[in-house]
Amino acid sequence: MSSSQVETRIGVSSGPLRSVELVDCDVHAQATEAMLAKYLSPSARRLLERYGRRTPRVTEWYPRARHSGMRVDAWPGKPGHIWGSDPELMREQLLDEFDVDYAVLEVLSGQDCYDHPDFAAEWNSAVNDWQVDSWFSFDRRLRGTIAVPHEYPSLAVAEIERRAGDDRFVAVLLPASAAEQLGHPKYWPIYEAATAHGRPVAFHTGGYVDHRGAGYPSFYLDYHVGNGIVMQSQLASMVAGGMFESIPGLRVVLTECGVAWAAALRWSLDAAWEGMGDDVPRLTRKPSEYIDEHVWFTTQPIEEPDDPQHLLYAIGQARLGDRLVFATDYPHWDFDSPKQALPRAFGPELRRAIMCENALSLYGLPRERAV
Amino acid sequence: MDPCVDCDVHCAPSSFDALFPYLSDYWRQYIGEAGIRLNGMAHAYPPGVVAPAPSSYSELSEHVFSAESEPRFVVLNCLTGFETHRNPYFSAAVASAINDWVREEFLARSDRLRASVVVSSVSPDDAVSEIERVAEDPRFVQVLLPVRSDLPWGHKNNHPIFAAARSAGLQVGLHAWGRAGKAPTPSGFTTTYLEDYFGNQPIAQAQVLSFVSEGVFERFPDLRVVVTECGFAWLAPLLWRFDKDWKGVWREVPWVKRRPSEYVREHFLFTTAPAHLPGDPAALGQLLDMMDVPGTLTYASDYPHDHGDGLSLLLDQLTEDDRRRVMWGNAASVYGLA
Repeated sequence: MSSSQVETRIGVSSGPLRSVELVDCDVHAQATEAMLAKYLSPSARRLLERYGRRTPRVTEWYPRARHSGMRVDAWPGKPGHIWGSDPELMREQLLDEFDVDYAVLEVLSGQDCYDHPDFAAEWNSAVNDWQVDSWFSFDRRLRGTIAVPHEYPSLAVAEIERRAGDDRFVAVLLPASAAEQLGHPKYWPIYEAATAHGRPVAFHTGGYVDHRGAGYPSFYLDYHVGNGIVMQSQLASMVAGGMFESIPGLRVVLTECGVAWAAALRWSLDAAWEGMGDDVPRLTRKPSEYIDEHVWFTTQPIEEPDDPQHLLYAIGQARLGDRLVFATDYPHWDFDSPKQALPRAFGPELRRAIMCENALSLYGLPRERAV
Repeated sequence: MDPCVDCDVHCAPSSFDALFPYLSDYWRQYIGEAGIRLNGMAHAYPPGVVAPAPSSYSELSEHVFSAESEPRFVVLNCLTGFETHRNPYFSAAVASAINDWVREEFLARSDRLRASVVVSSVSPDDAVSEIERVAEDPRFVQVLLPVRSDLPWGHKNNHPIFAAARSAGLQVGLHAWGRAGKAPTPSGFTTTYLEDYFGNQPIAQAQVLSFVSEGVFERFPDLRVVVTECGFAWLAPLLWRFDKDWKGVWREVPWVKRRPSEYVREHFLFTTAPAHLPGDPAALGQLLDMMDVPGTLTYASDYPHDHGDGLSLLLDQLTEDDRRRVMWGNAASVYGLA
């Protein structure tokens, strides 16, 4: 371990402490290409400068209705900056505004799967360097997720091992859509490495958009609501493929995909397993038992029934009381305010679990932090 | 015994031989020379799990009309048109042959049978022609579309199908399974049958989003869609999110004039099979509170498929009037049965 890592280890602090009350599990720091380019080798930088990223971003497939899908007040207005690239503005609008104790960054810049492995490895590594240099050292409340070249698992494992000594990386980040279904054994080495290093795997909505069982939606509206549908398919793949059976300590965090669909999925997978368990002989238990043990969900964008009691029903039916972790999704347009997002019907105990306790256990974060 | 409509009973020719009387010389030769065989209808009938669908009226009536709760009407869905090949001319010819076969082999033998019109899933033009060809026969009650599609069915390119359907007095039946040879889910290729089976539910949800987002029901206000064999417990949470997102991005779809959930409640029905429900009666009671079961569901046996006995649990919780809507009223109203 290098000396710089030692200095930044969690818990190495002095001075007054504050009891942790709010953990934000999905915050989008976003790098410009220039911010990442400086970490690249000369050949990778030349490739970026001469050929660019080649493929359209998902925001070009499905343009956001207004302001590029961002909170309009989150535009830094500083030269060289874009939404989510300015730590000072994020501190002002998120960390200080809401007294966030820990905010987990999920940088989506490496979530495509179209790059050559050499470039993908460097690009994701640059994302991680940038998190350390521009964010972790800027504010001690910030945590991050390890970006990996997920289509090349051996390279992804190497990147996990490179970052594992830095406790500020609290999870490994993968997209919710990839070249193969995420339960495919191809990706298991990544999950094994994350688990071996005590990290959950966070799957964040987005990534590859070329799988469409029903064809391509036309609009951002049905694409965006459909993100929950994609995650349902992925969870079925994860369960049926057997990764939870084969990697016992694996924890996954389904991020920005909604939560209320979980109960219907459990009932359906359990019913299918009753009748067709011999199709998935690797499974030794009901699908819902694997989900109970291995799966967490972030709140934003949480479903909003007319009657908030119905959301409570859905959470109870899927046994999510200790599996839901709060997220704002700053600086996106559908930002959830920590003050308003959860209905009053939730009550203080469940609220505290979601806003803080569940995330502290999930990420192994200290219950007190230096002020 | 209360009357009942069974909205999903399957039939299927056992081989192309049965369709030969309804195919031209060219297609008979094409099929024979290429050695084309009817396969598992895009996996709806795995060999050791589901008995073959009845291929004759006698087989059908033995199983369906001798059941204890004998249906007054049965809607036949023949999935044989859910092919893998991409030849639009072949697709159109097979669809016509299936409809003629269903008419001669089944509809002609019982006045209690109704059927879905099988149409090409690769060419909206041909789908329109086929709808027009069979339109005069009132025993066809809906157009059969698979949930697995190249383009979501609500897309504007598909609107001529709905225009033709409404002109012919037909509704739409959106059925599980469909086009094979491509990723069957929005997350990629599956590795187990269990995922394929479950996968019909997520893609049915994507189709529901498409119909509403594309403004289909503003253009075709009398159109009803019966989502068949795709479950329904997922509906309430989907609509909670759909309404929420629409409130944020309605500018993108100005033709969606009301909350998405309102269109869904007015225009969609869902068949009761599979009823994958919680065993816990308290959770089942909550589900009834979360969704309008009597106004949303319509009975289907899905013969010869077997999805377990979730339905009886659900029906036990309903009042007699509500049970009658699910077993009879909703389907009778959508299909104009009496």
